[in-house]
Amino acid sequence: MLYKKKWPLIIFVIPGLLFMLIFLYLPFVENIKNSFYNMTAIIEMPGTKWKFIGLENYRNLFTDPTVRVAIWNSFKMMILTVVFEVGIAFVLAVLVSNIKKFQQVFRTVYFFPVVISATAIGLLFKLFYNYNGGMLNQILEFFGKEPVNWLGPDTAFAMICVPTIWSYIGFYFVIMLTGLSDISDDIYEAASIDGCSKFKQVFHITLPMLKPVFATCVTLAVTGALKVFDLPWVMVPNGAPQGSTHFLGTYMYQQTFGLGNYDYGSTLSLLIVVMGVLVSWIVGFFTKERD
Amino acid sequence: MKNKVLSVLLVSAMAVSMLAGCGDSKDTGSNGDSGKKTEQGDDAGDAGQNDVTLKTVSMFGGTDPNVAAYEEINEQFQKDYPYITIEDNSQTSNQDWKAAVAADFAVGNEPDVIQYFTDATANTVLATDKFVTLDEIKAEYPDYAKDITEVALKATANPDGVNRAVPTTGYWEGLFCNKDLFDQYNVALPTDWDSLVTAVETFKENGIIPIACSLNAVPHYWIEYTMLYSAGVDEYQSVPETAPESWVKGLEVIKTLRDMGAFPEDTDTIDDAYAGQLFKDKKAAMQLDGSWYAGGVEDAGNGDTTVVVAFPGVPDQKAEANTIISGMSSGFYITKKAWDDPDKRDAAVKFVMAHTSKEGIQKYWEATGKIQVTAAELDAPSDLSVLGQSAMDLVNSATATALPTDARIGSDPYSVITSSMSQVSVGSASAEDVLNEALALFKELDAQQ
Amino acid sequence: MKHKKVSVGKIIVYLILILWAVTTIFPFVWVLLNSVKPSAEVLSSSFALPKVFTWDNYQNVFESMNIGEAYKNSLIISGSVTIGVMILSAMMSFALTRYNFKGKKIIESLLAASLMFPVFSTIIPVFRMIVKAGLLSTNLAVILPQIAGNLSFATIVMIGFMRSIPIEMEEASYMEGANVFQVFIKIIVPLCKASLSTVAIFSFMWSYNDLFVQKIMIREPKKFPISNLLERISSQYGTDFGLMAASVTMIVLPVMIVYIFLQKNIIKGLTAGAVKG
Repeated sequence: MLYKKKWPLIIFVIPGLLFMLIFLYLPFVENIKNSFYNMTAIIEMPGTKWKFIGLENYRNLFTDPTVRVAIWNSFKMMILTVVFEVGIAFVLAVLVSNIKKFQQVFRTVYFFPVVISATAIGLLFKLFYNYNGGMLNQILEFFGKEPVNWLGPDTAFAMICVPTIWSYIGFYFVIMLTGLSDISDDIYEAASIDGCSKFKQVFHITLPMLKPVFATCVTLAVTGALKVFDLPWVMVPNGAPQGSTHFLGTYMYQQTFGLGNYDYGSTLSLLIVVMGVLVSWIVGFFTKERD
Repeated sequence: MKNKVLSVLLVSAMAVSMLAGCGDSKDTGSNGDSGKKTEQGDDAGDAGQNDVTLKTVSMFGGTDPNVAAYEEINEQFQKDYPYITIEDNSQTSNQDWKAAVAADFAVGNEPDVIQYFTDATANTVLATDKFVTLDEIKAEYPDYAKDITEVALKATANPDGVNRAVPTTGYWEGLFCNKDLFDQYNVALPTDWDSLVTAVETFKENGIIPIACSLNAVPHYWIEYTMLYSAGVDEYQSVPETAPESWVKGLEVIKTLRDMGAFPEDTDTIDDAYAGQLFKDKKAAMQLDGSWYAGGVEDAGNGDTTVVVAFPGVPDQKAEANTIISGMSSGFYITKKAWDDPDKRDAAVKFVMAHTSKEGIQKYWEATGKIQVTAAELDAPSDLSVLGQSAMDLVNSATATALPTDARIGSDPYSVITSSMSQVSVGSASAEDVLNEALALFKELDAQQ
Repeated sequence: MKHKKVSVGKIIVYLILILWAVTTIFPFVWVLLNSVKPSAEVLSSSFALPKVFTWDNYQNVFESMNIGEAYKNSLIISGSVTIGVMILSAMMSFALTRYNFKGKKIIESLLAASLMFPVFSTIIPVFRMIVKAGLLSTNLAVILPQIAGNLSFATIVMIGFMRSIPIEMEEASYMEGANVFQVFIKIIVPLCKASLSTVAIFSFMWSYNDLFVQKIMIREPKKFPISNLLERISSQYGTDFGLMAASVTMIVLPVMIVYIFLQKNIIKGLTAGAVKG
């Protein structure tokens, strides 16, 4: 390490930490505390007293079948996100950074889905999938086929994954592009002169140089997949059909704001955090720079 | 004009009787909505001199048809009382919003006047004991809530039996039918279970969705009516320890209907707006909904091709035909915060009176398509659409009325039932378990109040 | 020969890129088209061109509320959040990539953990704090929690970028006698222009779109930021779709402008000059 004196650390680290301590960590500690009580409202109303129920909520976690569904769905989503979101974003970023004409245009339009609210995208896809006169079924009808209930129990999960993953590719695209912009042109030039093809350059230069950015993207992708909430919620609220498309995020929201089960919601959010930390440790382990 | 004279007379009559009846209310008095100027030179009059900012909250937000009336009354109010500024923050009620309201009350950020639920839904907020009771207000302002009928007041008493809110309009729930589709396929409007089954089958055969409904988002009306008809008014309106068999049988009717193909193929995933659109586009023949839905049907230009009828029935029903669910479950509250502030007390009372006077209620009633149940007696309406007329018949021919389930057990336990309906309708959850879970939650919450 | 091969590849590249662009442009065009349709038409024929062209939806938006004031509130809030997050995350990530110290691992884990905190679980205690501090319905009530909320993401992203910046550039200047702060401001910050822009884009966007926190913290309609205001107009999901499409368009525009403006900084080869120099 270059810098010997440690005292500047205080100035660099403390302000940020303080912010997070006050507005994130302490409130979250309270959230943990709440998970041990039977909350009757979102705040302990004057004149009521919450009963201490110990580990009851945590025991429920193990017996609640929906939790199992939600964990499994979130896990699948994690894998899909890493493979497709990060993967496609990387390919697009490399392609875009290699062209001269219209680069600006692509960079702009690829970001559109990230900006447009989940409400609008959710509505759009609902209108794609609708059984009665949805776009996909209109196409099937045109070819003389029977309409399909796209959001039926068998296909719902896949149908929800498509827009959820697609809409956030632009996000990783921008991060990848930023990472690529940090790689010096000189290296590529040198490689070209040595006769290394563009395709090979990607494997021998781009990928290794981008490793830290990849690690960041994967961490963000898996944690983001655990938190996934708004788009599925808009398209199939309450994990419809029959709770089969619940993710941890949507289930937590339903428990908290749909069913007013605030304490169980707190327990679920702790579960999300614990799983998130575990997963990002695992990601960190595999992507750590061997230095 | 006639109304005005009448109300002035009423006010004076009441004021006289109050003055005669109890001596301690002589300082304050009848500075009601009927006259802009008050006769009083003391307390109430002084309050008029100071600029007052009134923080108000209502559920009349978004695209609710009541919004127009609410805002019109507010505008007129500000003109009548230039020294009062209204800071209004109205929103359509949903879970986020209810949580925010509860949070406001808990930390002391409650508004001065709020139009909110009066039934068990309000329990969380009621627990903070921050509302002034109607009796307390009437002791000082005798003509407060004077136009409200006895029935309406009884309906809007809080679960503890105390009146705090002043209502404007109520609601009913009924089966909307696309009359033109029934005529086209030569089907009779359903009047009992058998004719409902016939209708469902006929429409099904002809490629019309029999019943528009999102079982995932809004199964509420089906839950309420199947349980009510299966159990009868008394058993339906009880809050037992565990679910009676009749309730369970009621909910299972929804599964029977689903198995018959009565609901849209994608009833598990469509939202309520889309289900409503299916009905309005004449792609579906029937829809069980509340009086607030009628406005949208009128707006779609279907006012003369749609009728509303009473819920047809369930097999082996205990309820009499034409039993309807209807009620009044919200009203204007004044908070203690406003009441204890001498400047705001008078302004808040004036505000609520402007909204709940006969004229105010008339505005709400007109804005919502002249089909709601009103809290004050209005003159008989003319120029009704076919739908409007059928709605009136529905209410007038009702043999009995009941309140929906959530009015008794509160919104959170009720959500347990509504959120599981889609599972119950395919048999992946048992109706009995779901009902028992909801009742257990109610008991648990009730014990802590 | 070689030249020709490249152009075939180029064509394929452009084809792929254009194909993807079609999928990303489609929703935006769809929203635009539906924003000029009467609401009922959105549900019944959402993929057709408008049968009746109408500005009503926009007119509704403009007539019912003070849009200008709301845009101003939004810009103040999201602008402050963006600047705050940029400064704090740059400092934190500098410390975490350039120093070894006790507790570094813990801070890193805490950062990763807070990435996972669902805002629903922290909002109530924060709300109580804000009320106690008398900040309710002020811009600060949104700015402070949002800075904290975006900080962990921004720091993690910045760490990724800063790791890939070679330490040689700082070394030279440090050896020449500049202190850490000078190195940070004169060398690191300019080098991070691209990554800081990225962080800025996302902080701005999230802060701007974060309806939930805004709804809880800003209770006076006069002080509503734009997305809050428009949500209030079009109210719930799926009641008035035409109005919703119009609001979405109006909400999206500022973010698009900020994005186009900032992403210019993310240009390949920015660091090239610095390494050579």
